[in-house]
Amino acid sequence: MRGTRAVAAVLAAAVLAGCGLGGTEEESAADKDSLVIGVKADQPALGVKRPDGTYEGFDVDVATYIAGKMGVPKSRITWKTTNSSVREEALAKGTVDMIVATYSITAKRKMKVTFGGPYYVAHQDTFVRADAASIKNVRDLKDKRICEVTGSNSWRRVIEERKVAARPVTVGTYGACMDALAAGTLDAVSTDDLILAGFAAGRPGRMINAPFTDEKYGVGLKKGDLRGCEEVNRAITAMYQDGTAQRLLTQWFGRSGLKLTTSVPQFEGCT
Amino acid sequence: MTMSPAQPAAPAPRTPGPRLDPAPPPRPPARMPADPPGPRGGRLRTFLRGRWLKTIPGRIRAHVVLCLAALVALLAVLTVSVGNARDSVQTIGHDAGPQVVATGTLYFALSDMDAQVSNILLIGREHNLGIGYDNSLRVYEMRRAEADAAAVQAAQLAGRDPALKRTVQEVLDGLGKYERLVGQAMQLDAQSDHAAGELPPQVVDAYRQASDLMKLQLLPKAYNITLDSGAHVRQSYETKRSAVLAGRAWVALTGLIALLLLIATQLYLARTFRRLLNPALVLATLGTVVLTAVGAGLLTAHAGHIKKAKEDGFDSILQLSRARAISHSAFADESRYLLDPGRADTYEQTYLDKSLSVIYPDLGDKPVNLENYYAGLEQKVAPYKPGKGAVPFLGFFGDEARTVDRGREADALGAVLAAYRTVQRNDAEMRRLASSGNRSGAIDLRMGRTSGAIHDFDNYDKALSLLTAVHQDAFDDAIRDADGGLRGWNAVPAAGAALIALLVLAGVRPRLAEFR
Repeated sequence: MRGTRAVAAVLAAAVLAGCGLGGTEEESAADKDSLVIGVKADQPALGVKRPDGTYEGFDVDVATYIAGKMGVPKSRITWKTTNSSVREEALAKGTVDMIVATYSITAKRKMKVTFGGPYYVAHQDTFVRADAASIKNVRDLKDKRICEVTGSNSWRRVIEERKVAARPVTVGTYGACMDALAAGTLDAVSTDDLILAGFAAGRPGRMINAPFTDEKYGVGLKKGDLRGCEEVNRAITAMYQDGTAQRLLTQWFGRSGLKLTTSVPQFEGCT
Repeated sequence: MTMSPAQPAAPAPRTPGPRLDPAPPPRPPARMPADPPGPRGGRLRTFLRGRWLKTIPGRIRAHVVLCLAALVALLAVLTVSVGNARDSVQTIGHDAGPQVVATGTLYFALSDMDAQVSNILLIGREHNLGIGYDNSLRVYEMRRAEADAAAVQAAQLAGRDPALKRTVQEVLDGLGKYERLVGQAMQLDAQSDHAAGELPPQVVDAYRQASDLMKLQLLPKAYNITLDSGAHVRQSYETKRSAVLAGRAWVALTGLIALLLLIATQLYLARTFRRLLNPALVLATLGTVVLTAVGAGLLTAHAGHIKKAKEDGFDSILQLSRARAISHSAFADESRYLLDPGRADTYEQTYLDKSLSVIYPDLGDKPVNLENYYAGLEQKVAPYKPGKGAVPFLGFFGDEARTVDRGREADALGAVLAAYRTVQRNDAEMRRLASSGNRSGAIDLRMGRTSGAIHDFDNYDKALSLLTAVHQDAFDDAIRDADGGLRGWNAVPAAGAALIALLVLAGVRPRLAEFR
């Protein structure tokens, strides 16, 4: 009888093993009941932390819409200020599930991050004083004083990439650039049009509407979360189809004089 | 089942009961006659009391029932798994997979329509420049028809996905509007009768409207259609593949259970009847081993085939079709750069962005502009040998290079990279001429029939088609293997299980007969 008992034991073990045979799907932002979303805290009209600790801006509204389409209501979103330098690390470590923070999709970042979207393609544009009629495109910045913000490479795009011999003037933040522009110590501020539009609100001045780069603002997800990325893309498609994108763009940037694109951007593809 | 009509299911849950009984009854002497059959009404009571299990024929029957139940489970699991395998190859290989690839044509056709328009407008009254006015118009019409055909595929794929359906509809509506705008631009162009490259502002304005509509609305949507329908295929592939692999595990498990039960029956018979082996049961056991092994092997091979079809075929074909469409669109940005000097900077930038998405050489800290891009190509891409060593660039061809197989595929990729560098060298020369004020020289280089920019681009396009063909062959082979592997597997599991069941019954029948 010992033989049969051994057989019975093996059978029991095999049946137990069988219980664990279901598919093991990897973790995805698409499955979460609540989401931690990384946003910026200091970008007017895009991501701003208010004194009461809540966040507002276009990015915040877009993220809320996307989370809603993925089944996570506003009440179960935790916002987290995520600065540019820590974005890849935050996603890899899982301290945030998703980043919606003027996060440009680039070939290099795609090696570390899976990008949904872009939800908007911003362009580098230039903001000048209202009376500076001679500045019509980036080439007219030759010999002009433009703002060089520490840590931002927008000025390089003018001087090094487009080879326009403008004169960079170092300033701490884009807010300070706008003050300097108004005070006449600068001639132009050139960076992503949505960022400019946010800072420009309520200030005198003119957007020259001569875009010269494509900045694809993507939704950052943990590398490899293809299902989450596909869900994000469907949410963005819906956001443009049901008119929400147009409404949000007008709400946040409508008064800046910026030409807005209200048709769904070309997605990057989930990799 | 004819042996034990009354007790098939009931004893099954009590599987180990009699054998784990802490105080098993002493082994009955061999060939002890069975209990004398009682009156008919007493049978059920005997059965329910379980005393029959203490008799030898009862135990034999219990063994048989368990073996047959395990075989039925094996058969069920095999049938379901083979069904999943069939579904997976149907989706990837025959239905959605090829359709998704076909929708990729939509982006290409739309993008090339706009490229032809820019060529026609650029050459103006010099109808023989480039591929010629008539030829450009013919290609335009052909692409229009291709776009329509691809949109039909996309609409079919959209099926019950309303968002995707709506996107397809928006592309078709937008295409109508685009054609009206192009018609106006062409009419103005014909009226102005301008020399090559000297477009009057009203023609440029009309073209800008058409081209912006194409660039900002139609092309992104067309691209997203392929991405989204491709995402559906990916999801169904993941689901089916994990179902096939889980099915394989279940086949192995149920096969193992059947095997152990058959061995237990064999052991029981050997002890009880003091015989060495029961030949029919031995055959049944071997049959189970073979059926399980072949079934699990088939599913393993199948999972391998569809993985190859998906990754080496489908994914690569889609990637390369994107690379091709974007390359054509970038090439058209050269003529847009020449025809619209007011937006030359923008078109140069979009040319660079598109080129970077095709190949992004590591530029280090250098600014990302065309000059450094050309240099990066010569420094990083030129020395690279496909299939050997690390890949020093990103982009579509970077992804391709990272998965390249040696041999035909590596050779084809090498040819593509070489042809691409030639195209970029022409671009550098064209821009050098244009920015030094020699616009007609730049137009001749770009549009001339002998000077080579078009010829070199065609060579690049052909090399890219050859590389795509390598992946298409890999796809076709993998799908053929998957189909071939499954052929006949409607009947094999059932026939195999039936044969094994018959052998089991044949094996125990003489033993049971001893008790009659």
